[in-house]
Amino acid sequence: MDVAAFLVNALRGGLGNLAAYLAAHVLLCLLPAFYIAGAMTALIPKESVTRFLGRNTRQAVSYPAAVLAGGLLAVCSCTIVPLFAGIYKKGAGIGPAITFLFFAPAANILALVYTGSVIGVDLALARLLLSLAFSIGIGLIMALVFRSDDAAHDEATSQMFAAQSVKGMSPASLMFLLGWVAVLLFGTLKLDILTGSFLNGTLPLPGAQQFQALLDRLVPFDASKGEEGISLQGVILILLLVAIGLASWRGFERIHDGFSAWTRAAIALIGLTLLVAALNVQARPVGLSVGFTGKFFGVLFALAVLFQLGRAYLTDDELRDWLWESWRFVKQIFPLLVVGVFLVGVIRALIRPEWIESLAGSNTLLGNLTGVAFGVFMYFPTLVEVPIAQMFLRLGMHRGPLLAYLMADPELSLQSILMLCAIIGKLKTWTFVGWVAFFSTIAGLIYGAWVDGMSLGRVVLYFALFLTLLVLALWLVRHRNHRQDDIQAQTL
Amino acid sequence: MLTIKILGPGCANCKRLEEIARQAASDLNVTAEFAKVTDYNDILAYDVLSTPGLVINEKLVSSGRIPSPASVSAWIADAMKAT
Repeated sequence: MDVAAFLVNALRGGLGNLAAYLAAHVLLCLLPAFYIAGAMTALIPKESVTRFLGRNTRQAVSYPAAVLAGGLLAVCSCTIVPLFAGIYKKGAGIGPAITFLFFAPAANILALVYTGSVIGVDLALARLLLSLAFSIGIGLIMALVFRSDDAAHDEATSQMFAAQSVKGMSPASLMFLLGWVAVLLFGTLKLDILTGSFLNGTLPLPGAQQFQALLDRLVPFDASKGEEGISLQGVILILLLVAIGLASWRGFERIHDGFSAWTRAAIALIGLTLLVAALNVQARPVGLSVGFTGKFFGVLFALAVLFQLGRAYLTDDELRDWLWESWRFVKQIFPLLVVGVFLVGVIRALIRPEWIESLAGSNTLLGNLTGVAFGVFMYFPTLVEVPIAQMFLRLGMHRGPLLAYLMADPELSLQSILMLCAIIGKLKTWTFVGWVAFFSTIAGLIYGAWVDGMSLGRVVLYFALFLTLLVLALWLVRHRNHRQDDIQAQTL
Repeated sequence: MLTIKILGPGCANCKRLEEIARQAASDLNVTAEFAKVTDYNDILAYDVLSTPGLVINEKLVSSGRIPSPASVSAWIADAMKAT
């Protein structure tokens, strides 16, 4: 094979993938998601959740609270690690700490939204529900297995979490957060009322169709292989994204010194981009047809409400914290995502579908184990697991093993394992890794069976059976431990 | 003489906070000794839920966010009055 042609082909795959991603997937899902994540970090007082994580809280409260903390408070490692260490050392102990640690990367808002829009809502829901069940399951198991350690902790108890003063979230902050969720829902839900156009107009741009034809030649795509081309609207959106990037760099980077004209420009550009992304633009021979969709009006309404809330009800401190945290997420995650998506495009041109199909093309135990093993040993930056999963899907991977991979990958990486070792020690860490691998495989098998057409009733039955066995086993172990304790107490 | 500690593993937020605190101290003509606390066990000793944290004379004044330069100046001024 000609090396030069091969390289050009690979490079083209990467650039095409990147362009299609930026234009199609990023805007209406990731952009609001970044601002939701920022609002969660800046506006939800952490004490409102963590006060349920104290040493003396009942399990029925502390585990759900740990899940809530994972889903709402922890979007980046700056929060995950101190909160995890805090819950473990000064709060409710190893069980809820592990629940928190499992749930936070698997089911935070950014990961779920991205999975839903790129791969499918069914997989995002499966990811959420199974993470919920398994995070609590693994937490309970770890608490049981390392019961004696936790008891030792109790001796040196410290009331960090319970002693916190209760600060609620202000109604305006809550509305602000919900407003962004509304932008996200209007932009991404595929309902007829949102995707249909109510008003149509045509811009007299005779060159539009030639330009679209040029784009199709530059980024050739094969719809049958699930590849996406790039539209004229996509080009406009990418340009707007670049403009947002520049304005944000000037406006948000020094935001602690005060709001500048750049800050206002960046905010205006973000609104404009979201609105343009919600339009339905088609290149036609007569010019550019523009459809004002239900989506457009929904996003417009939500943005207007947000603007009013932000101007009239949020304090400058809140706004600044929110913009800064959102911008920090973008800065931290977006460049890695861009590089990741590019590389995925390059790699896709190299991998043969037969390899994936023979390994994980159907919902077998081996297929699911392969998915999990890949997830455990590969490390991808936050969110890059999603385009990688999409690549596997297009290359013929079954949705069951795919879920197994998606469950295992964000939980476990060399980095997180090292961090865990430092806080809870090697033995506990590897026990945790083993359980995550086990649960992810089960998750893949169950979900895969459902995709293969097993009736919902039987899936629920199997799932319930599995949970019952687990609970029974846990109960037996606990029962035996209690008896041993009693015997020890008698002999003492 | 104040002791100002920045709690955090060295992420972007901690650096920004240190910058703001140093600026505030020099604006007020306060001589302060700065220290970075990066070990999690030491950080947790100050009851923080998320980094970055700011500690002035062993008192935790802020955590989980970057405070505005004005409030940092006010905390430093308070700490000076107390000593």
